[in-house]
Amino acid sequence: MRKYVNWLLPALAGILILAAWTGVKEVFGIRNFVLPSPLRILQAAIKERAVLLAAAEITITGAALGFVAAALIGFLASMVMSLSASFRLSLYPYILVLQMTPIMIFAPVLVIWMGPGLPTVTVITFLICFFPIVANTTQGLISVDKNMVDLFRMINADRVQEVLLLRVPHALPYFLTGLRIAGSIAMIGGITGDLFAGNTSGNAGGIGYMVLVYDGQLKIPELWAAGFTACLCGFVFVTVVLGLNWWLLRKWHDSIVKSDV
Amino acid sequence: MDTPNPPLVSIAALQKRYGQGAVVLDGINLDVNKEEFVSLIGPSGCGKSTLLKLIASLSPVTSGTLTVDGMSPKNAREEMAFIFQEATLLPWRTVTRNIELPLEVSKVAAAKRSEICARMRHLVGLDHVPEHYPRQLSGGMKMRVSIARALSVSPKILLLDEPFGALDEMTRDRLNEELLAIRAQQKFTAFFVTHSVAEAVFLSSRIIVLAPNPGRIAHDFTVPFPYPRTAETRESPEFQRCVAEVSRILRSVSPAHP
Ligand SMILES: Nc1ncnc2c1ncn2[C@@H]1O[C@H](COP(=O)(O)OP(=O)(O)OP(=O)(O)O)[C@@H](O)[C@H]1O
Ligand SMILES: [Mg+2]
Repeated sequence: MRKYVNWLLPALAGILILAAWTGVKEVFGIRNFVLPSPLRILQAAIKERAVLLAAAEITITGAALGFVAAALIGFLASMVMSLSASFRLSLYPYILVLQMTPIMIFAPVLVIWMGPGLPTVTVITFLICFFPIVANTTQGLISVDKNMVDLFRMINADRVQEVLLLRVPHALPYFLTGLRIAGSIAMIGGITGDLFAGNTSGNAGGIGYMVLVYDGQLKIPELWAAGFTACLCGFVFVTVVLGLNWWLLRKWHDSIVKSDV
Repeated sequence: MDTPNPPLVSIAALQKRYGQGAVVLDGINLDVNKEEFVSLIGPSGCGKSTLLKLIASLSPVTSGTLTVDGMSPKNAREEMAFIFQEATLLPWRTVTRNIELPLEVSKVAAAKRSEICARMRHLVGLDHVPEHYPRQLSGGMKMRVSIARALSVSPKILLLDEPFGALDEMTRDRLNEELLAIRAQQKFTAFFVTHSVAEAVFLSSRIIVLAPNPGRIAHDFTVPFPYPRTAETRESPEFQRCVAEVSRILRSVSPAHP
């Protein structure tokens, strides 16, 4: 019954939204140029599916590579920062600088340095995914209960054992929270990457690039279709991360094991 | 000087302050022999936990001497185990893996580890939940895991800081009886911090009453009746008298309420 409701309610809401969309368009006679009908967008998506699929692949590749790099390097950076308060104190401001500088500023600079292409898109995605991962993971590594640390001292654990057996597992849910946030913005990195640094040959490129192309050709339903493709990719991304989160924490963490059945 | 039976823990003229703060413990002199069961009671903030931490070398002594089995507390750490008020279990480890933790850290071979662990699990009555995670256990069961983990290294000295403070009275009484039964087998020396006079009297061979500001030993009380003690012990008039007397001492050192 609960399962039903979980699907049924969003589905109903979706139908209502589509109906309202179509209704408003008809009643006010809004032109396709301003707001295409859902059906028109679907048709455009089907017509352009080969192009959109190829574009999605390009964008997702850049987003995924940047995301994975951010996960790995972010984790290592957190380990380093958890080692001493002096490290944290000296490094954190600069990680913040990375985060506070808008990616639109970095992107052209990176293109000057690296030229357009997948490596540049990867770095752009990396830059926006890095901070949430580092901030959360570092927090997890240093927020271990004092009694737990005392316990590890009592059993004569060395520093490496304390990190591997206590701090890292304790930080895992924090790390995964960082991944979830990063996962939801990785597509922004991929698309920004396409826009500024996409490798384009002929009329093909990532989704960001296709948005530019369709816009230039006034193919407005196709533009919308590209938007929905990006949205879909984002969902795929987040679903993968949520799956990983569930799988790693399923046995012991309260965020997963909610109901006591 | 060589005595035939030197005290296991020897504390002399000990003073403790945290950083530049107020003196927490002052002029503590205390010798504890092998296999004594010593309870520490006293008003909140008088330094009971601090004293345990000093013995465990989790915090440095400010001045005075403190030796454990003839060594500095730091060097004697391998002979000690600490049981905290919260069970301090690792939530990502099963009961078995939690009990094994200290053995794993000291690199005991896997086969030996699981043999010891099975014995300890049996000792605390957790044979039926080896693969459970802490979140699946009751408070009492968690504390049993914590006890099994502490005992897995066969400590000479067990330091317990209000281990049963968060449990209901029935569970607490049960665990008290089990703890004594285990001690009859394992022969450890215990330092036990509690706020419950009845618990202290039931468990201990000796009760140290601390007075606050600064923390110092106000009374050193020997509990007169022998082990083994059972649930019936609590009903004897002798026990009641003892509890009444220690309570009176405790009240006399507690700051008066305005
Ligand atoms: N890590 C610390 N840093 C500074 N002061 C501390 C620290 N730990 C304890 N104190 C102080 O030392 C005094 C004794 O604390 P302690 O925890 O030993 O008392 P206690 O007898 O165990 O109290 P309770 O019965 O409430 O547990 C208190 O005044 C406390 O504020
Ligand atoms: Mg205390």
